[in-house]
Amino acid sequence: MNTSSFAVDSSRGKTGDTAKTFILPDKCFQKHVGCAWGRGNKFTIYPRSQTVNKTPTDAADSKLMNIKQDILLFTPILRKLVNESNGTYLSLQKAAEAAKVSDNQVEFLKLSRQFRSIIRVCLENLQEAATKAEGIEKNNLLSYITIFYSIECIWHLCEILYIDNIPGDIVLPYLLEWVRFHFPCHEQTAAQLLGACERGSEEHEDYWDTVVGMVVQGRVDVARALLKLHSAGESNEFKLVDNSLRSMPVYSVYGGISTGEFTISWKHWQAECRSKLGSRVLASQPKLELIMKIIMGDYSAFESIRSKYSSWFDILGGWVMFTAPWSRRHELGAAAAACAGMQPAGRSHLDDMVRALLEGDLHQVIHEIQQISDNGWFATHLTDILFHCGKLTIMDKHQTNVTSRLRDSLILEYGCLLMEHKSLWSVGLSYLASCPPEGLRRAELILERMPVDTEAKAMKIIAEAKKYELIGVAQSVCRCMCARHQSAGRAGGALCWAMRGRSSAATARAAHAALAHYTQHAVLPAQDLLLTAGSAMLLSDALLFLGKYCDFHRLYKTKEFKKAAQLLVSLITSKIAPEYFWETLLLDTLPLLESDEPVFTSNDTYEIMLCLELRSSSLDGEKADLLRLALARNLARTALAEGDGTEEKAQ
Amino acid sequence: MPLEVQGTFVSQKISKIRWIAEDYVETKCFFTGSWDDDQNSIKVWTLESPHEEEEVEYPRQLSEYLVNGDVTQIKFTEKNKIAVSLSNGDVKVLEVSLYDKQFPLKEVFHWEKLHNYGAEQCSCTSLDTLEGDIATIGEDGNVNILSGRRGEVMHSIKGADSCSLHSICFIKHTEVITGNVRGHMKIWDVRSTNNKPSAAFLLAGDELAATCIIHHPTQPHIILAGSESGALAVWDLRMNSFPTSLVNAHSAGVSEMQFHPENPHKLLTCSVSGELWEWNMEAMTKSSKGPDGQVMWMPLQDKKSMMVNSLIPALHKSINSLHCDKGRILCGADNEAVYLIKNFKY
Repeated sequence: MNTSSFAVDSSRGKTGDTAKTFILPDKCFQKHVGCAWGRGNKFTIYPRSQTVNKTPTDAADSKLMNIKQDILLFTPILRKLVNESNGTYLSLQKAAEAAKVSDNQVEFLKLSRQFRSIIRVCLENLQEAATKAEGIEKNNLLSYITIFYSIECIWHLCEILYIDNIPGDIVLPYLLEWVRFHFPCHEQTAAQLLGACERGSEEHEDYWDTVVGMVVQGRVDVARALLKLHSAGESNEFKLVDNSLRSMPVYSVYGGISTGEFTISWKHWQAECRSKLGSRVLASQPKLELIMKIIMGDYSAFESIRSKYSSWFDILGGWVMFTAPWSRRHELGAAAAACAGMQPAGRSHLDDMVRALLEGDLHQVIHEIQQISDNGWFATHLTDILFHCGKLTIMDKHQTNVTSRLRDSLILEYGCLLMEHKSLWSVGLSYLASCPPEGLRRAELILERMPVDTEAKAMKIIAEAKKYELIGVAQSVCRCMCARHQSAGRAGGALCWAMRGRSSAATARAAHAALAHYTQHAVLPAQDLLLTAGSAMLLSDALLFLGKYCDFHRLYKTKEFKKAAQLLVSLITSKIAPEYFWETLLLDTLPLLESDEPVFTSNDTYEIMLCLELRSSSLDGEKADLLRLALARNLARTALAEGDGTEEKAQ
Repeated sequence: MPLEVQGTFVSQKISKIRWIAEDYVETKCFFTGSWDDDQNSIKVWTLESPHEEEEVEYPRQLSEYLVNGDVTQIKFTEKNKIAVSLSNGDVKVLEVSLYDKQFPLKEVFHWEKLHNYGAEQCSCTSLDTLEGDIATIGEDGNVNILSGRRGEVMHSIKGADSCSLHSICFIKHTEVITGNVRGHMKIWDVRSTNNKPSAAFLLAGDELAATCIIHHPTQPHIILAGSESGALAVWDLRMNSFPTSLVNAHSAGVSEMQFHPENPHKLLTCSVSGELWEWNMEAMTKSSKGPDGQVMWMPLQDKKSMMVNSLIPALHKSINSLHCDKGRILCGADNEAVYLIKNFKY
C-alpha cells in the first residue's frame, strides 16, 4: 500500500481533500474488519469474525494487511541527507547554546550554508540516479528533484533575508545573486556570443532575448558587451543606450553617499533616460526602446517580457534594481506583488512560498513549507535555524508567543518519524533529545518498544539511553533481555542482564530459577559468573544466597572441607535460604558429617539439628533419619574431641 | 601534509570496515559490513577521483553481497578471503576476485546456525582468524574453531561461558582469549577437551562487556582489551590475573582497536562516543629490564603521559570500526557514513 506522504493541514484544507480512500484488494475484508495500530505510522487490518467460538475456517481466507505511510526520506539517497543534516543540526544546537553568552551570527550563517550544500549534494545524487533510472523510479526521482530544487531555492532566499549579515540591509546584490543562481537564463547564449566575439551577432535567434535577459538579471556589463556585437553597434542609437547603461548610478553602502543623495542622482539619471526616450530617437530600434523602458523601471515593459520567463522570480531582481535599488530586506513585499501580478494566471506552490517570504510573513512561510512532501525535513530544519537566529516570532490568536512551541512540535514530529525506521532510530533520538522534556518522554516510550534482536543492539540502545540520561530505558532493556534468557532457561544470561539492570526483583527471580534448576538437575548453572560477581550480588537476598552456595560448592570441590562446612552452617543459620531449598541445604551437610576428619564443631551440629527439627517437613522420614544419625555420630566425635581440649586447657 | 578527513554517506550503518590489501600498489578497495538495517550487506568499494585532475577520492560501490542479520565481524583468512560472522548465527567465508573487484563476492564456505540456542536464533558476535583458522564466539557462550581451508569445525568448546561472549583473539595457534558481556576474560587451550579455561580474570570491576581484544604485534603475550565503559586494559600474560594497567580512555565503549601494521608503537582506537584516537605506546615499550632479565611492560599511569591524540572531531554517533593501512585510516560509523583519513603520520 502506498499512501501519499503529503502533509495535509486539516484546519485549512477542505474536509474532502484530507480524507483518502483506498480500495482493499481482497474479498476477505468484505464483512467485518478490525484494525490495530502498530509502532509509528503503521496499522494492521484484519477480517474480524463476529462469531468467536468457531474454529478458524480456512487459513487462506484470513489475511492480515499491514498499512504504512510511505516515507520519502527512507529511500537510500535521501537517507544520506537525513544523516548528514543531523550532524549539522546537532552542531547548530551547540552553536545555539554558545550563542546564549555571545553573538554567534557568523556561526549560524556557516551552518545555514552547510545545510544548503547538503541539499546541493543530495540534488546531485538524485540527478545522477535519475539519469540511470527508468520508468516509475525515474518519475519518482524527478519529482524528488523538483521538491529539493524548491527547498534549495527557498532556503537560499531565507538565508539572505534572515540569517546572513547584510551590510546596511541593502538586499539588492544578494537578491540578484539568488536570481542568477536559481533561475539561470540565457547565460549560456551570452557566454557563447561573447566567446565568438563576432560582429552581427543579432543573427543569433536569441540575441535580443539574451540582451534583455542580462539587463533584467542586472548584468549590465554583459548586456553592454553584447550590444557592441550588434552590426549597428556603432550607431547613435546604440551609443545612446550604452551611455545610459554605463551612467546608471549604483547604490552601495560603502559608496560614501546617503540614500537621499543617491535618490537625487538616480532621479536625475531616470529623467535623462526619459527625455532620451521622449525624443523618439530610438523609434527605429524597438528593442533598444524596450531596454530603456526596462532600466527606467517601466511596469508595462516588464509586463511585456514576463511571458518569456517561466516564473516571476526571473524578473524580480531586475524590478528591484530598476525601481528601488536601495530596498532593505523587509521592503520587498511590494516588489514581489508587482512582479507576481504581471501574469495573474496559475500560481504555483513555490510562488506562494516566495511571496510569503518576501512579505516577511514567516508564519505563512512555515505553513506553506509544511505542505512540501519531504516528510517535514525542510520545515523542521528551517524553523529551527530561524528560531535560533532569533528571527522567528509567531503569535497565536491570543497574541501569546508560540515560536518555541512551534519549533518543538516540528522537531518532535520529525524525530518520531525517524524513530520508526530500523536504522535511523538513533538519528530520530538525537532530535527528540534536543527538545526536553517532552522529547525525552516520547523517546522513552518509543525506545522501550523497539525490537531488540541481539545483545549488540541492546547495548547500543543502553549506550544511547545513558547518553541522554534515560536510566529507565536502560533498565527496561536489561529487564527485557533478562526475561528473554529466563524464559529460555538460560540462567547465566538472565542473571547477568538482571545484574546489569540493577533490578532486585529480576535478580531474585533469576536466582530462584537457578536454585530451582539445581534442585532438579543437580548442576549449578552459571558458576563462572557467580564466583566472579562483585557488589551486584547484594541486589537481592536470593542472589546473595545463590552466590554463597556456589562458593560452598567451589570450596567443597577444592577439598577445603573446613571452610566449606563453616560456609554451609552460616547459610543454614542465616535463614535466607528459600523454602524449597532446605532439603538440598540440609542434605549437603551429610557428606561433610561423614568425612574422616570432623569438620563441624559441636555447636554447628546443634544448629543443624535445630534447623532439621524446625523444618522436618522439608525432608521425608528416611532422609531425616539418616541425617539425624549422622548428626548424632558427628556430635559424639566432636563432643569428645572438644571435651578433651577444654579439659586439657583447664588442667 | 596535514591530516585530511573526508566523509561519505553510504545509507547504511557500518559495523565493520576493512582495506583489501594490494601487492606493490597503494590500497584502493575496501569492504564494509552493515548492521541494523532492514537488509544488510557486505559491500566492496573502490576509491576514485570523479575528475581526473582532482586529488579528492570518493568511494564508489563495486559490488554488494546481501546477508541475513547484521554483519558482526569481518576478518581476513587469506589475502582475498574474508571470514564474516552474522547476527543470525551464521559464519561465512567469502572470496573477492583478485583481478576484478567488481565481480560479485563468491561464497567459499557457509556454516549455517553455527551458533544457536537450539531452534532459536542466536547471534555470532565476533570471530578472529589466524593463518586460515577461524575462532568464532556467540551469545550462546560457545567457542568454535573452524578451518578456513577445509571448511570444517575442528573443535568446539560448548558452554565456554554462561553468559554471551563478545570478543575473541588468537594468542597463538592453540590458544584463544575470550571476553564476555561482564568483562570476564578466559584463556582457552583449544587442544584440551575438558572445557575448562586455562586462566580466567576480570577486565574491571564494573561488570561491563569486553568489546574488543587484540595482542601486541611484536610481543604477543601483551594483550589489550577495550571495555564497554570506554576503558582500556593491558595484561602481561606472563603474570596475568590483574591488568598491568587499566586506563579510563573514551567516554563510552571502545568499539575497535588496531596497532599500526608498520609501527607497533602506534595504537588506534575508536569508540561509541564517536571518537578516533591515536595512542603513542612508545612509553610503554621503552621498558626496563626486570630482575630476571626479562623485558618488563611498563604500567600505564594515566592517559596524559601517553600522548593521546584525537584524529577527527568527535562525531555525534558511534564509530564502530576502523582499519589502518600505512598513512590512511578508514572508519565506519553509525551516522551511515565512512570516513577516510589521509596523511596520517606513523
